[in-house]
Amino acid sequence: MATEVAHALAHPDDGAVHAHLSSAQFYWGIFGALVFLTFVTVMVSYFDFGSANIVIAMVVATAKAGLVATFFMHLRHDKLFNTLTFLAAFLFLAIFILLTYDDIGRRGEVDNDYGGTIKAQTGQVAPGGEPATSATADETNEKPPEAP
Amino acid sequence: MAAIDIPIPGAHSADAHGDPDANYLKASRGMGSWLTTLDHKRIGLMYLINVTLAFFAGGIFALLIRLELFSRGRTIMDAETYNRFFTLHGAIMVFLFIIPSVPAALGNFFLPIMIGAKDVAFPKLNLFSYYIYLLGAAVALTSIIMGSVDTGWTFYTPYSVQTQNSVISMTLGAFILGFSSILTGLNFLVTVHTMRAPGCTWSRMPLFVWGMYATALIQVLATPVLAITLLLLCAERFFGIGIFDPKLGGDPVLFQHFFWFYSHPAVYIMIVPGMAITSELIATFSRRAIFGQFAIAMSSISLAVLGFLVWGHHLFAAGMSEYATMAFSALTFLVAIPSGVKVFNWTATMYKGSIVWASPMLYAMAFIFLFTIGGLTGLFLGTLNVDIHLTDTYFVVAHFHYVMMGGTVIAFVGGLLYWWPKMTGKMHDEVKAKIGFVFVFIGFNTVFIPQFIMGSRGMPRRYYDYLPQFEIFHRISTVGSWILGAGLLLTGYTLLEALWRGKRAPRNPWGSAGYEWMTDSPPSLANFHETPVFTRGPYDYHLATPEELATGWDEVEQDGKKG
Amino acid sequence: MANVSKAVEVGKGHGEHGDHDHAHPSFLAHHFDTPAQQFNAAKLGMWVFIATEILMFGGLFCAYAIWRAVDPSIFDQAHHFLNKKMGAANTVVLLFSSLTAALAVRSAQVGKRKATSVYLIITILCACAFLVIKYFEYSHKIHLGLLPGHCFGHPGFSGAIQNGEEVGTCLRVHADQAAGTPQWVRAIDEDGHVQLLPPRTNMYFGLYFMMTGLHGLHVIIGMSILGWVLVRNMKGQFSKEYFTAVDLGALYWHLVDLVWIYLFPLLYLVGKPE
Repeated sequence: MATEVAHALAHPDDGAVHAHLSSAQFYWGIFGALVFLTFVTVMVSYFDFGSANIVIAMVVATAKAGLVATFFMHLRHDKLFNTLTFLAAFLFLAIFILLTYDDIGRRGEVDNDYGGTIKAQTGQVAPGGEPATSATADETNEKPPEAP
Repeated sequence: MAAIDIPIPGAHSADAHGDPDANYLKASRGMGSWLTTLDHKRIGLMYLINVTLAFFAGGIFALLIRLELFSRGRTIMDAETYNRFFTLHGAIMVFLFIIPSVPAALGNFFLPIMIGAKDVAFPKLNLFSYYIYLLGAAVALTSIIMGSVDTGWTFYTPYSVQTQNSVISMTLGAFILGFSSILTGLNFLVTVHTMRAPGCTWSRMPLFVWGMYATALIQVLATPVLAITLLLLCAERFFGIGIFDPKLGGDPVLFQHFFWFYSHPAVYIMIVPGMAITSELIATFSRRAIFGQFAIAMSSISLAVLGFLVWGHHLFAAGMSEYATMAFSALTFLVAIPSGVKVFNWTATMYKGSIVWASPMLYAMAFIFLFTIGGLTGLFLGTLNVDIHLTDTYFVVAHFHYVMMGGTVIAFVGGLLYWWPKMTGKMHDEVKAKIGFVFVFIGFNTVFIPQFIMGSRGMPRRYYDYLPQFEIFHRISTVGSWILGAGLLLTGYTLLEALWRGKRAPRNPWGSAGYEWMTDSPPSLANFHETPVFTRGPYDYHLATPEELATGWDEVEQDGKKG
Repeated sequence: MANVSKAVEVGKGHGEHGDHDHAHPSFLAHHFDTPAQQFNAAKLGMWVFIATEILMFGGLFCAYAIWRAVDPSIFDQAHHFLNKKMGAANTVVLLFSSLTAALAVRSAQVGKRKATSVYLIITILCACAFLVIKYFEYSHKIHLGLLPGHCFGHPGFSGAIQNGEEVGTCLRVHADQAAGTPQWVRAIDEDGHVQLLPPRTNMYFGLYFMMTGLHGLHVIIGMSILGWVLVRNMKGQFSKEYFTAVDLGALYWHLVDLVWIYLFPLLYLVGKPE
């Protein structure tokens, strides 16, 4: 009958849920690794590695997050698309952060064809760029338009 | 050989008494059965009623704005009120009408049918998202009653932080509406991935479903950022955390980045469904397989992805770093390509097809024409040096109305006319629909072409008063708004009239090969009488049997004679 | 037209389906064909929802990243006012609760109802512990006046040092003061040292409270979800064949843990140690 054909075409197996089962010991093992990594990251924070501080912290945090996602959240034994969904969120977040930084972190930096300008945050002279706005306005020869 | 492996139901509608195959409108009665329904078709209809009301409200504001702008100086309202009205027009149209419109109304109704499913993956979540929509609308209404906002629908800081108006309640309303959008998108994503009927492979999936899928991707990934943006704005107002306030070390342009990271993909939430409808209409009314079906499907996905990379083009004149402006301008040109693919493919589909001049087809062709204009003018705005002159002028206003109204609204109306017989089981009067179309098309162009012209001559947007040289353009535009309004009212009347006086519609009045036309008009509760098996594509006119393509008008007349 | 048998019963309710029992267990919703389809759909739905939560929190992480890149001095000093030990304790508590949540799912998968309940209860208790520690942290900051934006500092600022002794541990930054000359403020940190805080420290605490506050809200929501799952489990609604709600509830809880895994180092650990 068409019904059975439809079922057979759609679901070649019995259609029951077959989820992977890890042992309790395994979960405790992952927990142990997570605690160890937490210990590492706290200990490292008492030393100053300069700009590497945040890199180390993020690497350890990502390792911990990876363990939680892969094993506690079962991504290891789940459909690949779930992992892609999870990673896609981080990808778009990265796009957001990077392109926003491209603006806010690089204000006042322009290409070298023009003169220099001032960086808003620190007052340093930025490489390239137009002279500061007030100077440009003073140099202009344009008159304002006649009032109607 | 049957191309879709189910027996084609006859033209007589199912018996409502005790027959579980009764059509979904008659399967249960009473207001309560509608308010607690889990049927995606009923939920789609309820959304349709609400978005139409929202469109009407937003349209009233639009007409009042245009009336005010008919003459210089004060015409019917003062400047404060004018600011509130254009803010409300924008906020209502964007958040309450256009973003939910196609996905929540038509998508909810047709996506499961088009993949051969009985419902969406999470029917209770579907109903929940409808109630969240109502809640968000209620909160936004509260804001309006409490004096509303005058910040523009974009809520730019620092004004939105400092103004005394009810910004928090309006943003909370938008926040809640965002969740409705997210849940609808989530539902569609899971439905398409897990509930396609046998034979409905990705490459056979109708383009309307591809469009809904791409839209769902955007809804799910972009809307959460709107949520956090609005939360941050409320925190800024309430606690003054300083993130957007230069006095406290923040940056108001950061708000714009946050806001547009959502709102640019949001415009793709608005247009991709319109394109999805157009693909369906062009194929049916050219009686041909759509040209480059997979390319159109992939272009929808491309728009979804690329749309996330270009938000900075709304900030070109806001004071961004030059590196950012250059990067965003280049990416903006890139995002125009998938739209071009679609326009080319639709045109190629029509070439040497058997064109049927039904009202939905008129709207589809208008879509192609108007969207092309809107899209091309977007390229002018994406060019850095030109944008310096055109930004925040009426050129921008005309551009986005061409794509959003000339695009999405036109496609939405075309889709309603196309699918009305399927949804309601009644056929509307084609003559009135075509007259309405003429008014809409002429009215729309009359409103917005003058706006392109005056924008390029320097008329700024959101201005209450203006210089004398712009008055003639504003007047033409206002008169156009009346023509447009009349056309839309006539079309709305035509659809409503069909419910009472329309002929009973057959299963497939347009003779389409699409999957949704293989069900009853209106569909039964479970959509299909048994799980279908798809053995051909939805545009394969050469593979469809005559039985499948039969419009069924003969049987309707026979039944009518039987009485 | 031939009589067609229906693949599913169409009607109201999700009760027994007569002779379709073997193909349609009671936990299977009418619009799904098989339990596997329903389970996969539920899981995918949860992962899509998790993606939306990542993007929502991500907005706050973006704000953090931008301000940290633009003005690191805000972050270098202010983290001294956060108690690393309490933060680490909270981290371990949440990690342990993640373990018990995973064990709860495992117990449900093998049909051990009591064990599932026990693990769910422990998870909820850990969540309570997290909130208690958070309460102590928050109240300490409120006492010190380390609050976001306008609320930064107590009304009566002293902060001066009289006769070699600190008079109070209050801080003050006025919005209008910051507009003119940025004011460095004097404050006492966790270890009793006098700190000089850079002018935009109120921004740091704005981010701190928004990020931990939103996270705390999700902890409360997670507790409610797990509580509801616990009630359903005690009523015997789960089995070896159907444990989806436990799985999804645990996934939400793991997300809460994930967010904290990133919040902890970024707020507590990264700064200039002295």
